[in-house]
Amino acid sequence: MALTGRAGLLAALGALVVLFAPRPGLAVLGIVLLLAFLIVVDLIFAGGVRPLRFSREGERLVRLGQSVTVGLIVENPGTRRVRGVLRDAWPPSAGAAPRRLAIDVPRGERRRLTVTLTPTRRGDREAVTVTVRSLGPLGLAGRQGRHRVPWSVRVLPPFLSRRHLPAKLARLRELDGQHPALVRGQGTEFDSLREYVVGDDVRSIDWRASARRNDVVVRTWRPERDRRVLIVLDTGRTSAGRVGTAPVPTAAGQAEADRTDQGDGRRRPPPGWPRLDWSMDAALLLAALAARAGDRVDFLAYDRAVRAWLSGAARTELLSSLVNVMAPIEAELVEADSPGMVAAVLARAKRRCLVVLLTDLNATAMEEGLLPLLPQLSSRHLVLVAAVADPRVAAMASGRDTSEQVYDAAAAEQLRGERRRITSLLRRHGVEVVDALPEDVAPALADAYIALKAAGRL
Amino acid sequence: MTLQTTERSYSVSPTAASIWKRGRAIVLVAVIVVVAAVVPVLLPSGSTGGGSALDPGDSSLAGSKALAQVLGAHGVSVQRVDDVSTALAALGTDGQLLITEATDLTSSEAGRIAAAPADRLIVGQVPYLDVLAPGVISEVGGTSSRSRPPSCGLREANVAGSAYMGGSAFTGPPGSTGCYPSDGKPTLVRYTVDGRTVTVVGDGQFMTNLRLAEDGNAALAMNLAGTKPRLVWLVPPAEPDQPSGPDGSGGSDGSGGSDGAGSEPKSLGELIPSGVGWAIVELVVALGVVALWRGRRLGPVVAERLPVVVRAAETVEGRGRLYRARRARDRAALALRAATIDRITPRLGLPRTATPDEIVTGVSARTGEDPEQVRPALFGGAPADDAGLVALAGYLDTLERQVQDS
Repeated sequence: MALTGRAGLLAALGALVVLFAPRPGLAVLGIVLLLAFLIVVDLIFAGGVRPLRFSREGERLVRLGQSVTVGLIVENPGTRRVRGVLRDAWPPSAGAAPRRLAIDVPRGERRRLTVTLTPTRRGDREAVTVTVRSLGPLGLAGRQGRHRVPWSVRVLPPFLSRRHLPAKLARLRELDGQHPALVRGQGTEFDSLREYVVGDDVRSIDWRASARRNDVVVRTWRPERDRRVLIVLDTGRTSAGRVGTAPVPTAAGQAEADRTDQGDGRRRPPPGWPRLDWSMDAALLLAALAARAGDRVDFLAYDRAVRAWLSGAARTELLSSLVNVMAPIEAELVEADSPGMVAAVLARAKRRCLVVLLTDLNATAMEEGLLPLLPQLSSRHLVLVAAVADPRVAAMASGRDTSEQVYDAAAAEQLRGERRRITSLLRRHGVEVVDALPEDVAPALADAYIALKAAGRL
Repeated sequence: MTLQTTERSYSVSPTAASIWKRGRAIVLVAVIVVVAAVVPVLLPSGSTGGGSALDPGDSSLAGSKALAQVLGAHGVSVQRVDDVSTALAALGTDGQLLITEATDLTSSEAGRIAAAPADRLIVGQVPYLDVLAPGVISEVGGTSSRSRPPSCGLREANVAGSAYMGGSAFTGPPGSTGCYPSDGKPTLVRYTVDGRTVTVVGDGQFMTNLRLAEDGNAALAMNLAGTKPRLVWLVPPAEPDQPSGPDGSGGSDGSGGSDGAGSEPKSLGELIPSGVGWAIVELVVALGVVALWRGRRLGPVVAERLPVVVRAAETVEGRGRLYRARRARDRAALALRAATIDRITPRLGLPRTATPDEIVTGVSARTGEDPEQVRPALFGGAPADDAGLVALAGYLDTLERQVQDS
């Protein structure tokens, strides 16, 4: 049961009547009884909420930053018209709009309502409940009831770095035999023989083959194919730190931007995106590129247990499977278990492959966790560590105006020195390192992959 | 991708039966509490009148209803009056006025009573005793009340015997009779002045319902109060009821209609028409309805497990604040110098293992700066103050830029 503002207005108008009534005490009693009677009548004649039947239709997937509509079909098998308001409750970060919908379903009919979801973060969003308030003919009171109408929408990573994909694919084709500028050397394998066309490098003419035919034939080369790439995503505590500026407005960013720092009173910059999301973006670009280059891509997310594992996806469906697997992953606030991660990688990668480890170059975490175990990994596989640098640290390091800024700059340089030290240690172990700012990490990782491929080190 | 549910929707709101099942225990407890609270109030209680002391209409232990009834049974008409004017009018010549310690008199009222040609019985410590009973002086300090023998020639006292007396002792005027002495001073004094018999008693407890049955209290009270066929019992005026809510104003309106022409000034509450009070009640009802309207949520509050929001740079900012708080110029300078050296050694074509001397010579050769100036900048001690640190950072920047540009 629920009352409306009209009932309150009626009660307030009753006060005027009481003011001028000859027997005010009786008038109050009469008005209260009348109001109660009208409310009861309204409740009796309001359409029933319990017999309503709901179903949903619409999208199940949405990229972060985009909107999606979900249809809600209301069927009224009852004996009375259901007129009132409906709220389709979703979690706040699903960004459901509008908050309440007007419904008017005559008996025996059905109506379709639409709710627009604009999610502000990744993951699965489950519809909570549908609440209907069915008002009576007088509009004084209504029946209210809730229904559970299951539906979930998976919010996928936005894959913003896909705008880099055409340029990187063009560079990949330069390696391939399809491009006129043939690059031949280590890491390329014999592809085919074809007729000589003007402009081809005369050094690539296969004289023996030409001798067998009446035509001049050249050899074409292409990079190695069917190599394996294993992308390992560290979902431990270091991935939870937020860096850069979020390309998609986040709920947390809004809340944080409105709050001022209590320490020094100045407004803090919005906290940006977690390292995890930037890493996912880079992983998606790398996976798209590697799939196009003919390599097989596997994906592992690990902190203290396997959070996600994707293997053997068909090339055409790799990206959609990957975003599906990535969508619900959140950074866990625990220290990543490096021995476990290395063991998981070794157990899964039987043959030599490129292990791309997306983590942070945190000095203590690296020295205690991964560094002692790297020889196990790098002896069997080629290891590439990609990390997201913090632009705020870079900004702090260039502060020179006041002593406060210089102290901050010293702290930032201290951190960058640690990162440089870790990077050189890793390189000494034969590990490739990509350390780039959030916006650049995806193309930088793609470049590193292409360079490795060109050098035939896969 | 457009899909449709195969799962059926189902209602999750409670049914009337489930609400009753859940709430019946609470309702039962509430009913028991209400019944327990209401029943004793509705049951006829032994006391009426609210326990005012020495009141002929009060049946509590402190009241004197028993005495009034006994007097009535012996043919004395007891008149309970709460107003001095009415009392004097009702007194006539064959009446006796009883003034107790509970009576609240003003000096002018005391004067009017003293001028009245009627007997007076003054019980307890009454103000303006010198006006009401001229010549009687109350001893300072008072005495304790207990059962005392009469020890005097007063017939009423002798007949009654011992009584519960005390309170204050008096010194009577010449010709007065004193009874029930305490340390030789009587606690009951009777004398005649201007043809009126005035009796002063130190303590009124012998007249209360509590003490009336003890000793000769009842006999003494009868003898003192029943000397005349009519007894006018002066009690304090009833507490004026505060007009609380519509009931008070409605009640005063009903009675105020008859004597509305009276010249007494009316209070603000009496001037407001009764409809206003009821209209406020109606507005409270409206407020309740509005509260129910606004208080009913359309569906539940949805809670969500949110990821932690922590900026990655916070540890660096914290370290910077620590440096600042401790004025750690040595560490700050060390970090800045190490960063500069890290960046310029590859530019100078030196290995990472280059010695300070090699670096200093390399830098000064490339930039043309004095080695004696370069060395303390790159490998010197901590700056003396913050200004020195800022200057050092600036100089390191300059060196780096010159190395890069050359």
